[in-house]
Amino acid sequence: MAECHPVAFRWPLKAKLAGAKLIHVDPRFTRTSAMADLYAPVRAGTDIAFLGGLINYVLHSPRWNTDPFFQEYVAHYTNAATLVREDFADTEDLNGVFSGLLQYTGGVREWPFNGFIGEYNRSTWQYARQAERSPEPHGAPPARGATREPFDQLIRSLKRPAALKDPTLSDPRCVLQIVKRHFSRYTPEMVEEVTGCPRATFLQVAETVLANSGRERTTAWAYAVGWTQHTYGPQMIGCCALLQLLLGNIGRPGGGILALRGHASIQGSTDVPTLYHSIHGYLQAPSALARHATLRDYLAAEAQPTGYWANMPKFLVSYLKSMYGDAAQPENDFGWDWHPKIAGDHSHLPMFVAMAEGQVKGMLCIGQNPATSLNASLERKALRKLDWLVVKDNFLTETATHWYKAPEVERGEVRPEDIPTEVFFFPSAQVAETDGSFTNTQRMLQWHFKAAEAPGDCRSDPWFTYQLGVRLKRLYAGSTLPRDQGFQHLVWDFEPDQPGSVPGEPAIEKVLREINGFQTGEPATQLAGFSELKDDGSTTCASWIYCGVFPAPDQNLAKRKQADPPDHVGAQLNWGWAWPANRRLLYNRASADLDGNPWSERKRWTWWDGKRWTGVDTPDFPTTKSPRVLANPAALGLDAHSGASPFIMKPDGVGWLFNPAGLLDGPLPTHYEPAESPVANALYRQQSSPVLKRWVRQDNPLVAAGDARFPYVITTYRLTEHYLAGAMSRWNPWLAELMPELFIELSPELAAEKGISNTGWVRITTPRGSIRAKALVTRRLRPFRIGGKLVHQVGMPWHWGWQGVVTGDVVNELTAFVADPNVSIHEGKAFVCNVARD
Amino acid sequence: MPEPMGFYTDTTVCIGCKACEVACKAWNQLPATDGGIAELSGQSYDNTLKLDGIHWRHVKFIEQFAEDRSEGRWLMLSDVCKHCVQAPCLEVCPTGAIIRTEFDTVVIQSDTCNGCRLCIAACPFGVIDINPAAGTAQKCTLCYDRLQAGLVPACAQACPTQSIQFGPIVELKERAHQRLGQLQAQGESRARLYGADEEFLGGLNSFYLLVDEPEVYGLPRRPVLPTRNLRRSSLWATAGAVLLTLLGVLGLRKRRIEEVAQDGTANSP
Amino acid sequence: MSDTFFTTSPHWGIYVLLYFFVGGIAGGSLFLAGLLHLFGTPADRATVRTGQYVALVGAALSALLLTLDLTKPFRFWHMLIESNTGAPMFKAWSPMSVGAWTLLGFGALALLASLGALGESRGGRWGRFARLARGGPGGVLAVAGAVLGLFFAGYTGILLSVTNRPIWADSTWLGLLFLLSGVSAATATLFLLGRRIIQPRATRAWLVGFDRRILTLELLVLAVFLWSLGAVAESWVGWNGILLAGGVAGAGILAPLLLDRSERRAQRETRRAPAAAGLVLLGSFLLRLLVLVSSAGIQASGSGVTGR
Ligand SMILES: Nc1nc2c(c(=O)[nH]1)N[C@H]1C(S)=C(S)[C@@H](COP(=O)(O)OP(=O)(O)OC[C@H]3O[C@@H](n4cnc5c(=O)[nH]c(N)nc54)[C@H](O)[C@@H]3O)O[C@H]1N2
Ligand SMILES: Nc1nc2c(c(=O)[nH]1)N[C@H]1C(S)=C(S)[C@@H](COP(=O)(O)OP(=O)(O)OC[C@H]3O[C@@H](n4cnc5c(=O)[nH]c(N)nc54)[C@H](O)[C@@H]3O)O[C@H]1N2
Ligand code: SF4
Ligand code: SF4
Ligand code: SF4
Ligand code: SF4
Ligand code: SF4
Ligand SMILES: [Mo]
Repeated sequence: MAECHPVAFRWPLKAKLAGAKLIHVDPRFTRTSAMADLYAPVRAGTDIAFLGGLINYVLHSPRWNTDPFFQEYVAHYTNAATLVREDFADTEDLNGVFSGLLQYTGGVREWPFNGFIGEYNRSTWQYARQAERSPEPHGAPPARGATREPFDQLIRSLKRPAALKDPTLSDPRCVLQIVKRHFSRYTPEMVEEVTGCPRATFLQVAETVLANSGRERTTAWAYAVGWTQHTYGPQMIGCCALLQLLLGNIGRPGGGILALRGHASIQGSTDVPTLYHSIHGYLQAPSALARHATLRDYLAAEAQPTGYWANMPKFLVSYLKSMYGDAAQPENDFGWDWHPKIAGDHSHLPMFVAMAEGQVKGMLCIGQNPATSLNASLERKALRKLDWLVVKDNFLTETATHWYKAPEVERGEVRPEDIPTEVFFFPSAQVAETDGSFTNTQRMLQWHFKAAEAPGDCRSDPWFTYQLGVRLKRLYAGSTLPRDQGFQHLVWDFEPDQPGSVPGEPAIEKVLREINGFQTGEPATQLAGFSELKDDGSTTCASWIYCGVFPAPDQNLAKRKQADPPDHVGAQLNWGWAWPANRRLLYNRASADLDGNPWSERKRWTWWDGKRWTGVDTPDFPTTKSPRVLANPAALGLDAHSGASPFIMKPDGVGWLFNPAGLLDGPLPTHYEPAESPVANALYRQQSSPVLKRWVRQDNPLVAAGDARFPYVITTYRLTEHYLAGAMSRWNPWLAELMPELFIELSPELAAEKGISNTGWVRITTPRGSIRAKALVTRRLRPFRIGGKLVHQVGMPWHWGWQGVVTGDVVNELTAFVADPNVSIHEGKAFVCNVARD
Repeated sequence: MPEPMGFYTDTTVCIGCKACEVACKAWNQLPATDGGIAELSGQSYDNTLKLDGIHWRHVKFIEQFAEDRSEGRWLMLSDVCKHCVQAPCLEVCPTGAIIRTEFDTVVIQSDTCNGCRLCIAACPFGVIDINPAAGTAQKCTLCYDRLQAGLVPACAQACPTQSIQFGPIVELKERAHQRLGQLQAQGESRARLYGADEEFLGGLNSFYLLVDEPEVYGLPRRPVLPTRNLRRSSLWATAGAVLLTLLGVLGLRKRRIEEVAQDGTANSP
Repeated sequence: MSDTFFTTSPHWGIYVLLYFFVGGIAGGSLFLAGLLHLFGTPADRATVRTGQYVALVGAALSALLLTLDLTKPFRFWHMLIESNTGAPMFKAWSPMSVGAWTLLGFGALALLASLGALGESRGGRWGRFARLARGGPGGVLAVAGAVLGLFFAGYTGILLSVTNRPIWADSTWLGLLFLLSGVSAATATLFLLGRRIIQPRATRAWLVGFDRRILTLELLVLAVFLWSLGAVAESWVGWNGILLAGGVAGAGILAPLLLDRSERRAQRETRRAPAAAGLVLLGSFLLRLLVLVSSAGIQASGSGVTGR
């Protein structure tokens, strides 16, 4: 965190000065470890074993089993008591896999690039319910015209019998018992054997975490891509969530699992997504693979009858209105058929596989540098198959110059004249050269103001996207093809009311207004919050979660900069605006006990004052819903939840220790080895995830476990001094001189074994590629004892390339196209290599 | 006349992000070494290695690890001019280019400096060097220009962890002693303040909280004024000069006498 | 580790080295000229004049070298006049400040003395300056010249000690060491130049004898200097040390002493003396070179020190 989020790291350090304990879990001793009270080294890729060990420790600790706080929180705020179907089989029973494992059969002929090697039939992971009956997806069609809640019946039709529970938590089929059994083998001994973390250190971490959780104290976990970039990345975070729920650290101040996000506003780019798989506000992207043929099919498949997602029709219809305006009418399913549908996994890796197969004609590369991205030579091979490539960037990046400067061109293996691609470079404006908003890792929107005119032909990204849209609409205007109707009906009017300094620049606040939403009738009446949304088309709102940031034409709340007075415990509610509804702490009803009183005075945040929910934050709960209200099984939405159900987005209103739905690779986190590992999985016969994604190609080879040719674990990471592929830092002499050359960090032990000297040249080789770097020999890296065997680990920052003031080999020549099945995140954090003196 | 201002640097919260180093360069428009095309030093994460005419801030990295990793620390310290209360550089500067400002800071006036480089040899902390761009000796000005405008120095402003704290020396010393107490209470027996009292050079207006011996951080244990050697050196030299003169005079006298004696014999029949 | 090791080198290079060498000779020469003027015989006059000329040329060279060494040569005058106030710039406690004024005064004296010398030897239109070489004025110039000469020859060593650099500031004996080697180099110079101006044997014998005494002292002081460095003396281990022992102590001091002794046995000027004088010059040059280089090798770097 100190390395990559130095400014955010001021807060942990403030906490430290106030007496908090900092723990850092990392394969390398980094600048973060230097600040930590406790540093726990782990072999890259083994955090589930580590976290599983913590879970097992907690579940067997006397304090957890006796402290009423834990018992109450877990029994009522999680699904610990819920029973799971009888036919569910755990990794304990099937030696590392769950019930329902199948050969992958999904996908469509047009898109054979999904990369699955297996898939789970998840039916057995479901809750056990009274008289199980398959849901009737289609509600009766609503009466045409002005029925108030036309989708009501549909949602109601999705209702299912209540799940069975055992309040005593003793039934072997209840979630808590399953969890206990599942993690029983994650003993401290096992943790040491798998992760290489000394047992004493692990136990110290466990004691500290438990000691600092409970009524009076909370523990927070912060993570970033050290956890995500694995073939089981989401499971890693899920594992931590499980631990935090057990410890009552969710929905409470000083608790939670904090994702430290990446690119500035990468959070915004998932809220108002540049992602293929979701549309605004985390609604699934309409898919040709799922039952999404009609709007109703979609809702039947995606909506939940209980919990806040029961409102999905309002979100979706308002979204469609923002897309197609007046053309979107109940008669035509609000233009559903015009909306693009995905045909499979179109994320980065499969997209480039398709490209390499010649299936992609052209690419708009806006603010990305794939020529240096994973398995870089494969990515560049793909780029060379394009008919056209537009690079819109502030710098002539590796991607813009790959066709005449890439290593394979330098080596003479590829000749520019043989590359058919027409490459356009479009100089881009910088953030400071346009108005707009950033959404930070706390879901907080903050406005940034234009500070300078962009030089020359540089244009902002909004300019580019808006102008492209304008031109495409013009292009398709005359078309009679049904597929072009989407473009024809698309509402695309962001013209500034009075022309700005840059001709063609859209009025950025008009974009924000569309995202925030307004009364379809009178656009000047902007919406104050998503509770105002309707599913009859009377409201227009692109992204329901952002509804409320711009409640009136003169009230852009993202512009607020009013901090709380010093030494006042608050949530800074007047600084910027955080979705949803300016809540700073999600599920904060959990900061109060069943009766709505704060668990502790020290940790008070949101509470019931007798009439309403109040506190330092915006309550994440229906404001006047008494904590004592009982659940109404017959009702829809939140009425189906009791007044003691903090997790309002969940159909059952509680936090999930066990995930019956949502994840493709298992309802519980399980330790697997990375796709490439020098050792065998010590916990199960199953070596690595049975459902990971892998693109089997001769230019994407992987090696089997323990292959002697590649004996070392390698991980890749960032340095404070540089930014990602380096365009934004290696061009800057001030930053370049701070970290001028690519290096590999390795332990003195390995260096000695290999005759490598500090700052000497090293050759690093994987099945995908081979690069050169200087050695940085340091005791901050250490060999691990894994199952009695000495495993060396090396690490490389990946910021270099052939462009810029300082240059170096591209570390991603080494990495592979393997990914997790849920979100297709690559495994850049743990693979194997060999090193030699060069 | 404002009260003395300066820095208290709490090295225990320095994360080595080098924001201070870069902020200083940006504000003072200092060039990078060879346009940024430097070599990997191999000395931990330190690639600029020293303070000089174009590096007025420099972040040091000290790796302390037992061979078996049972013990391990990575110390970081953002080094800068100490703005000594009795400043060696100022003491010897023959042109008067180095002055003490109304903020009790030490500043080199580039338009006066003629580049004799005596200050470089005089600074006990190796702070000063010639800035090739300006052709004169340069160092941290404690952002004299920003202070005059009522701003916080660029480096302190940029420091995300408040490792660099700027303010009136009196306040800073209070804060420093509180923090020292906290650390010692936590059992960090090696914690100490460096330059926070009059022990040497009348005190440092940029003083440090360390958790090891000064030498570990590349700081002199007991920095002194150059003129400490003046008296004795002059004494020996003067004595020598007198001795030389005597020897010379005596030698010549002796020669005279001999010559006279010789002449005498020559004239005798 | 000495506290001086955490500092940076002022990168004083060839100009400063030459200045230290030339300055030593110039100062020493005016000192010798003064002595011979006051206590010598008419036979020494030629040598007195040579000394004065050498001082003048040396002063001029010194000024030139010092200016060239500045990174802003055209601001050389800032040493004497405060550039922004116009007031005189003088710091009694800063050897360089004092040195600048000394150079000025020394140069003036050397100039007057040389004019006197010209008047005395050439006569003609130079004749009017002759009085500067005789009587009261001559005497005053001689005394002042001798004093400033000694100062000029020795202050450079003090300047090095009045810093915080390794070796230089770790001893207080450099001033005396430089003084002795400067004057000894001056005697050698006058001796060598003497061969052109048929110098009386008496003068030459005195020069050689005087130099022998200085060299003996110098050897002693060199030892004291090294001893005074204490632990820092370690940094002489290596080539610098070998050169100091072989070049300065051996070739520059002991060799000439031995040569002179053998000469004395011969009771007559042999062809060896010039060699001795040459070695003395070499020694005093090497001494300054090594003192500069050995210190410059030690630099603060990273969190420690390199070059030792
Ligand atoms: N200075 C700087 N800041 C940045 C960026 C940058 O490039 N430079 N990039 C931004 C972006 S896009 C992102 S996504 C974030 C990423 O922020 P981080 O995730 O902090 O970045 P990394 O350095 O890639 O990885 C963090 C740490 O994960 C460790 N690690 C590797 N494998 C494992 C593992 O299996 N388990 C554990 N526990 N740790 C492991 C690495 O040793 C490394 O120290 O940073 C953002 N901030
Ligand atoms: N081995 C390995 N590979 C990794 C990672 C890893 O940890 N290990 N990390 C992964 C992660 S988390 C990430 S986020 C990716 C990042 O990988 P990329 O996004 O491909 O790399 P960047 O250098 O961030 O590319 C961003 C580009 O945007 C340009 N840019 C900056 N501002 C603007 C702007 O306003 N407009 C436009 N149009 N362009 C702009 C920059 O100049 C830069 O060229 O790398 C991934 N790759
Ligand atoms: S780079 Fe920018 S976003 Fe990242 S920590 Fe520094 S200031 Fe924050
Ligand atoms: S630290 Fe060095 S440069 Fe700074 S004031 Fe003291 S002596 Fe002068
Ligand atoms: S270099 Fe400049 S500042 Fe330093 S002593 Fe000489 S004149 Fe003064
Ligand atoms: S005070 Fe100003 S000049 Fe000194 S280091 Fe900080 S930024 Fe640089
Ligand atoms: S900015 Fe602060 S934290 Fe970063 S290196 Fe400088 S002093 Fe340390
Ligand atoms: Mo990222």
